[in-house]
Amino acid sequence: MTARFSRDGLWRGARDGVPLAFGIFLYGAGFGLVAVQAQMALGPALAMSATVFSGSAQLAALNLMATGQFTLWTLAATILLMNARYFLFGAALRPWLSAATPAQAYGTLMLTGDANWIVTMRAIARGEEDRAYLAGTGLPLVVAWLGGTATGVLGGSMLAEPRTFAADLLLPAFAATMAAGMMRDGAPVLPAVVGAGVALALAPVVGAGLAIIAAGLCGAAAAAARG
Amino acid sequence: MADFPVLLLVMAATSLACRFAGFAAMRFVPDHPRLSAALRATPLSVMAAISALAVASGQVTDALALAAGVALTLATGRDMAAALVAVALAAGLRAAMAG
Repeated sequence: MTARFSRDGLWRGARDGVPLAFGIFLYGAGFGLVAVQAQMALGPALAMSATVFSGSAQLAALNLMATGQFTLWTLAATILLMNARYFLFGAALRPWLSAATPAQAYGTLMLTGDANWIVTMRAIARGEEDRAYLAGTGLPLVVAWLGGTATGVLGGSMLAEPRTFAADLLLPAFAATMAAGMMRDGAPVLPAVVGAGVALALAPVVGAGLAIIAAGLCGAAAAAARG
Repeated sequence: MADFPVLLLVMAATSLACRFAGFAAMRFVPDHPRLSAALRATPLSVMAAISALAVASGQVTDALALAAGVALTLATGRDMAAALVAVALAAGLRAAMAG
């Protein structure tokens, strides 16, 4: 039997995704602005935002394409490297999301980003049963990302710098408070300590993206070793 | 160089593969209590990593705002509201420092 995947769950997720959308909009606008500078028109920029749906990967790919010296393999490798963390995110979602039908599960994974993954993992820890919740959190983010991209392409120079609104701190703020909430509810502290320590140690050497993946793997290994 | 539609196809396919692969691969991994513990711990480790890197690379005011968010969560249990308060606080502190 498959788990519940209802309109209520979708709506609840969408409601929880709205606070995240503001920061996503500003970063979408940032991407749109960079796309214009790279001579990219509105259509291609929107197509890229709709299909890649990842700020870091899109900016890295745009930088690579702007050099004019790349192959399809190096382009794929760039996206793979920037989005490798989604492998970990999908694996962590498996026990919960596999209760949905494959079409629902894979459709939902297309809407998964950093911020709504964090919010959803917190909701799962709280007992969220409706598998439509994650897709719901993704909907406002997709709208904000596409809207931001279009705004950036058409008139991004008129927008305020995201730092003015501390939009760059939105993801860390959600990550910090969600982690605190999970520990308040009895989650073990060890994975958090290991994750933070590994990230701080590795980031100067391998960069933030790979350091976060290593942190997730090491925290998971510590929890597994503890049993 | 390939046309943009080809580039877009490569980027989209790679992005989808990243999103699908972890979920799909776990289907073939046998269930085990240690694996369950590891998967449960992964979000917490990633969240702590993101927070720690933000504190390390940001200003003192950012760290203060995040600390306030954590304290508010621990006190009230309302993590989403606490995150928004932390962001608003950071914006206010940055404006105050700039002014």
